[in-house]
Amino acid sequence: MSILLDRKNRVLVMGVTGNYGKFFATDSGGYGTTIVAGVSPGRGGGKVEGIPVFESARAACKATRADTAMVFVPPPLVRAAAIEAIEAGCKLVVATADEMPVRDTIEIRAAARANGARLVGPNSPGIISPGKAKMGFMPSFCFTRGPMGVISRSGSLSYEGSKRLTLAGIGQTTVIGIGGDPIKGTTAAEALELFHADRETKAVTYLGEIGGSEEAAVAAYAARKDAKPIAALIVGKTAPPGKKMGHAAALVGSKADSHAAKTKMLAKHGVYVCRDLTDLVTQARAALKAAG
Amino acid sequence: MMILEHEAKALLRAVGVAVPQGTLIKPGARAPKVPAYPVAVKAQVRSGGRGKQGGVIRANNAAQLKTASRKLFNTTFGDEKPEVLLADPWLPIERELYLSVTIDGAAEGYVALYSPRGGVDIESGKPPARYPIGPHWKFRAHELRAVLETVEKDFHLREKLIFLAQRLVETAAARDCHTIEINPLARLKDGELIALDAKVVYDDWAHYRSADILAQRNAELARVDKLQRASLAMGHMYVKLDGDIALISGGAGMTMGAMDMIKAYGGKPACFLDASPGPTSTRGYKPAFEMLDADPAVKVILVSVFGGGTHMNRVANSMKENMAMRKSKKPVVFRLDGTYVDQVPAIFATFGAKNHACLEDAIKEAVKLARAA
Repeated sequence: MSILLDRKNRVLVMGVTGNYGKFFATDSGGYGTTIVAGVSPGRGGGKVEGIPVFESARAACKATRADTAMVFVPPPLVRAAAIEAIEAGCKLVVATADEMPVRDTIEIRAAARANGARLVGPNSPGIISPGKAKMGFMPSFCFTRGPMGVISRSGSLSYEGSKRLTLAGIGQTTVIGIGGDPIKGTTAAEALELFHADRETKAVTYLGEIGGSEEAAVAAYAARKDAKPIAALIVGKTAPPGKKMGHAAALVGSKADSHAAKTKMLAKHGVYVCRDLTDLVTQARAALKAAG
Repeated sequence: MMILEHEAKALLRAVGVAVPQGTLIKPGARAPKVPAYPVAVKAQVRSGGRGKQGGVIRANNAAQLKTASRKLFNTTFGDEKPEVLLADPWLPIERELYLSVTIDGAAEGYVALYSPRGGVDIESGKPPARYPIGPHWKFRAHELRAVLETVEKDFHLREKLIFLAQRLVETAAARDCHTIEINPLARLKDGELIALDAKVVYDDWAHYRSADILAQRNAELARVDKLQRASLAMGHMYVKLDGDIALISGGAGMTMGAMDMIKAYGGKPACFLDASPGPTSTRGYKPAFEMLDADPAVKVILVSVFGGGTHMNRVANSMKENMAMRKSKKPVVFRLDGTYVDQVPAIFATFGAKNHACLEDAIKEAVKLARAA
């Protein structure tokens, strides 16, 4: 099993005629993702990389039974495209764009909630269920099937971390990029609940950062009696306080945001905390071993 | 980005929030004038903790105003000197309160925070009462009232706070603010509420729909030196650190992961530089090299990119072009991985560069070179 995404998802690409949309169609389609439709207003009726293009998400969903949307439009247009897909009936919407105003994410998240849908992103690499399907640009060779769920606040760190796990023989059920923005379509707490309910996922590797409150949610989950074992790497030990480290949420504004406070809190609740990237595989193995 | 107090107050005034009628004092003003004394002369800087660093001085007459102004213009707060001062009338305060509206992940939108004891020591006191709003249209006066009832006994004040908080959340949404904080919010002897200080953090990414935010971004670029400006103009995120191994990386998490590992191997990172402006773009490495080559603190440059949408064949070709253009002899260590990494060795062979297979090896090499330099 996997969470949220497998071969059964019928994917609609919003903004399919752009460069990203086209690359995604060949790269992700080649990986096994079931891509059934594209939307590009003004270009309906044609085909891109063999995928039929529609004028609207509603028309695409009606004609192809698409239930999942990948959004590849420029940041100022993501809100409109994502909400269109949600209201057309897509239950999973992935938006990888960075440079999104937070207010727009708040609105998309509210629309998803009102329609029983889920947003992954923004400012995220997307989501991959290795060996099944991927929604994003992640390099496929970094991933392989297995029992580890992976949650990451950062895109390239999820590639780096997953590749290390893959080379060590630790495969993944699903790797989800929750993104680096303060408002997330799917939070760490929600991703943990999904992995918790997934029978194939035996343990979870969490790749976090300084700043924000996601790590507190991870610690709260780990404190549960029925929690699956968790390994965690928190980056930003060398980040100076008061400076935004790229991600809007990666800022040490108070003591609780710091690397020391976060790792201490996670360790206290039984999380296998990694010293640094080099230590990731060791701690992930320990978490899997604890899962039995 | 954070804007200055007087700019934040102008925003509040524009949406009907009471703020003092202050006077701006520009540097070089020989005899600054204000309509009446006493005044609070306040350094306009973006770093926090100004009050504790002596950034607010009371002046009772023109002579004191002149002395205070000179002193504040010559003081550095954090890493900035004030470009302008604000002289606010000294008001008869009955009580200092704290009220803010900010983005909060757990609230899925905005949260309002209130403390009946505001002022410079807000962080050391009891945490403020919290009303999770969510999207701005979910604000309900009766919900905030229920929260305020637990900490604020004065019902006249409570009703005023609710009215004000709603204004703040609507403004945060309409003007793309991450945070609007009023600390202190003063209750004057006549019962009126007035924002004695104001902190507004704008959402950088809303620049395309806000002339204010665009102007702030341009002003931010104008404040840094030419080399850094070229790098920032490419969309790079740069934070200078105090080490000697500069990092050109992609993705915030990966960049911090590499910084931490440099430290773990006994080196010191010279910067956080996330140079991933767009998933298929490799433009923009040039200004990064120019900036780091010109920085005397930098001894070694480590290029560490693990790309998905950023294709490594393009990055490798960009490195080849950049290395050919560079005049600096500072060593560069490469570690590229990700999409199309299999094409990197052939491209690197044409200009004699080596691509390290793993981050540990690249960092060990960079630390060694930094020590030798």
